[in-house]
Amino acid sequence: MKYTMLLVALLSASSLFGANQVQTVDTKANTELAQAKAEAAQAKAEAAQAKTEATIAKEQLAQADIALENATKPAGAIDVEEVLQENATMHISVTGQGVAPMNTSSPAQAYALAKRAAIADAYRAIAEKVKGVRIDGQDLIKNMMVKRSTIRTSVKAMVRNANIVETTFKEGLCEVEMEIVISHSDFAQ
Amino acid sequence: MRSRDGNRNFSLRLCSVILFSSLALNAGEYLISYRYVVKNATLFNEKLHISKAMKPCSGEPQRELILENSTDGNLKKLISQNSDEFLEYIHKLDLHVQHEEQTTNLQNKFTTILTMKTTCFKVDFNDNFAIIAPLK
Repeated sequence: MKYTMLLVALLSASSLFGANQVQTVDTKANTELAQAKAEAAQAKAEAAQAKTEATIAKEQLAQADIALENATKPAGAIDVEEVLQENATMHISVTGQGVAPMNTSSPAQAYALAKRAAIADAYRAIAEKVKGVRIDGQDLIKNMMVKRSTIRTSVKAMVRNANIVETTFKEGLCEVEMEIVISHSDFAQ
Repeated sequence: MRSRDGNRNFSLRLCSVILFSSLALNAGEYLISYRYVVKNATLFNEKLHISKAMKPCSGEPQRELILENSTDGNLKKLISQNSDEFLEYIHKLDLHVQHEEQTTNLQNKFTTILTMKTTCFKVDFNDNFAIIAPLK
């Protein structure tokens, strides 16, 4: 009887100790799980933040690309066409090119002739800008093949008060920069 | 009516007429036309025609050009001596532009013609300089 009581007490004590240990193990696992969860959440937040940063960087890159494209565009290429207002003037600047003929008697003559050709080219450019160009095209197709493709352009205008700004002559090519200031009253009928 | 100090007014008028007529020794009207052709970026042909007007021109002198005159009333000589200056001046007057360009099978050729239509110019030859102005 004595031994039975002792065995029961021992058993209960051991069971009690075992329960405590299991409880302790359970608590530890829970803590680790919570910690892992927190870490996962933090990683998720960091990933979201990185994603946002990447989007912003992408947008900035796109803006930089647009700015670069605008900067490298030629001066004449304006997206919005400039319109001559009634009480305002418009300044137009062009560059004409001309070459000297092969059979000139002196460099001075070559320069004079090339300059004349360059001035005519600059006048043509002014007329094209102010009045516009007429364009005609014609394609000849025979047996499903293009035999001849022709484009004809023509400009007719009257130009007054055009000024030569700068003239350069280099390696047989003469470049003349010309400008003209036009106002609304110039076109009044 | 005779003035109190004799013919002073009359003599003043006469003097001023003589003075002005001596300043404008050789005034005349000239017809000038200018045309040049550029083909494929090279000057092809240039013509400047000058002739004395046979009939009086109408209009007011516009933009003037003053040239140094060492010739005795010969406009052609004067212009050939100052050709650069005169042609630059002509470019600022009304100039007609006619441009035609043709591209066949990607090969391009073009002709540009610049023309100043026949215009009447008033030319005053003085002792050392000449004044040229178009009449409009």
